[in-house]
Amino acid sequence: MLAVTTRAKAAVLLVLLLVAFPVIAVLPNQVAAIRVAGLSLLWWYGGVIAPVLAGLIAVAWLPDATRPRAR
Amino acid sequence: MMSGARVLAVWFAPALWLSMPALIVERGPDGLWIALALALAPLIALGAGSPRPASDEAEPVFPVIVLLVAIGVLLWANLTLAGDVAAWLGAPRWQGVAVTAAGGCLLTAWRGGAPLVPALLLAAALALSAPLAEVARAAGVGPIGAWARVAGQTAFRFPSTSPWVTDGRDPRLRGLLVFEEEQRIIAPDGGRLLARTPEGGGVTDVEWMLTPGQSVTLRAGDGLRPNPVPRLRFEPDKRVPGAPASGIDWAAGAPADWPRRAGVLVTLVFGALGLCRAGAPWPTTRATAAVAAGGGLLVLAWAQGWALYSILASPDLFLGGITPERFLALPAMRVDEPVRAALEGLLLAGGMAGFLASSTALRERLGALDRTGGGEIGRDLGLWAGVFTIAALASLWPLDAWSLTLCALGAAGSGLGTTALGSTAAPPGVDTVAGLTGLALFGILTAAAQVLAPGDGLLGAMLAYPALAAVPAACLVSVLGRATTSHRPVRSIRA
Repeated sequence: MLAVTTRAKAAVLLVLLLVAFPVIAVLPNQVAAIRVAGLSLLWWYGGVIAPVLAGLIAVAWLPDATRPRAR
Repeated sequence: MMSGARVLAVWFAPALWLSMPALIVERGPDGLWIALALALAPLIALGAGSPRPASDEAEPVFPVIVLLVAIGVLLWANLTLAGDVAAWLGAPRWQGVAVTAAGGCLLTAWRGGAPLVPALLLAAALALSAPLAEVARAAGVGPIGAWARVAGQTAFRFPSTSPWVTDGRDPRLRGLLVFEEEQRIIAPDGGRLLARTPEGGGVTDVEWMLTPGQSVTLRAGDGLRPNPVPRLRFEPDKRVPGAPASGIDWAAGAPADWPRRAGVLVTLVFGALGLCRAGAPWPTTRATAAVAAGGGLLVLAWAQGWALYSILASPDLFLGGITPERFLALPAMRVDEPVRAALEGLLLAGGMAGFLASSTALRERLGALDRTGGGEIGRDLGLWAGVFTIAALASLWPLDAWSLTLCALGAAGSGLGTTALGSTAAPPGVDTVAGLTGLALFGILTAAAQVLAPGDGLLGAMLAYPALAAVPAACLVSVLGRATTSHRPVRSIRA
């Protein structure tokens, strides 16, 4: 049985962050084009929200569980 | 910390990070998505299993060869970009290639170069940030305001300060450039001008021999074909041919092509796995993850800012294909000549520092696969001088640096990507057979794409991004190989 590590879950979450972008782009009624504070929702997501979330996910869950041996 | 800097340097070669603003300008939100994928791909790779082979195993030759080829193509892409930058700035192409290749080769020859990688990355970041800050100051608007201004443009028109209007430039067209409105174009040096005009129900190809300074008026719907005219000048305040109809159109982008997006995603993620993780991955500490994530965020933020301010200052960027080398030149804006020269020098220095960091880290990455030789392959001066020489000679012929980068990542992903996926080491030989399968399919599809023009749909996406088919094939072989060999004793079949 495959062991699902925290790092693997983080990788899946990062892929989902990427997949969400084109999904937002095809939402009905041009939701993606709605402007909030001067920027469209799609650009807010792709340019600000997704990268920041990705950074948080990476720092929180990507590190190895065990401490690496000193070289 | 050091591992994070290595990951950043291996992944963010100049041909890759300079493609990010080019993609954002050219494709709008689609380009932003690719830039986001480029920033996230190394983080996804850090989350993969990447098992270390057992210490008593024979050293596999296959990953070393695949990685060496991928690194060679990446160097080729970067040197091609250096040649493009030199040509764009008015210098002979070979000078840009030679200076860059010599710098990379010298640093490779120096055994103590590896610790310089973080310093080179920092130097690149600082050198590239200063021109962005100056461009933002000159525009007088923040990044969100810049986006709103670009997205609010009713049309993209030539500013009177554009070099396309004042001096003229070589458009280096790759396809037909269709005009949206009537425009008079001037050939300051004369030459043979090729155009295509609609006639009745069809089209007619037209050819003019122009004397220096002579002009031709093209109507709306007429198109310029790739032609040997050395320079062309355009009229100010006319629509830039090839630009989106308006800022709203640019910000909305084209309808999503799902198979191609899948092709980009597979190529980038598995390319990052092959390049950064296969074989002998660096440990993922919190500092590694933080530096890789922070660096990726900074690169993405720089790419967005540079793309937006570049469109705002130079809508003529849209003319004749948006290529990365245009983003190592300062956009047309009103600054004093000494300041302009200093900023352009900083941009070039940033690009060079990025290339030196990348080539050093790639060499070190290959050396890490050479466990029994103590990493000697990463310090073999003869080998690296040969790789740089071949890449430099190949770069004298202008090619698309982004396509070469995708080719390198696709090959690395198809040949090595699956190796890094498993949570445990595969039985001997399985990874090699899987990698060979993926690489063979990648090669066949890449060759087929040169003969058959990639169309729409899944087949077109597979031809445009061969890793889309090659990676699943390699994964399938790997899964079948692991399942088969786990039930019977295995003889050593290592490549």
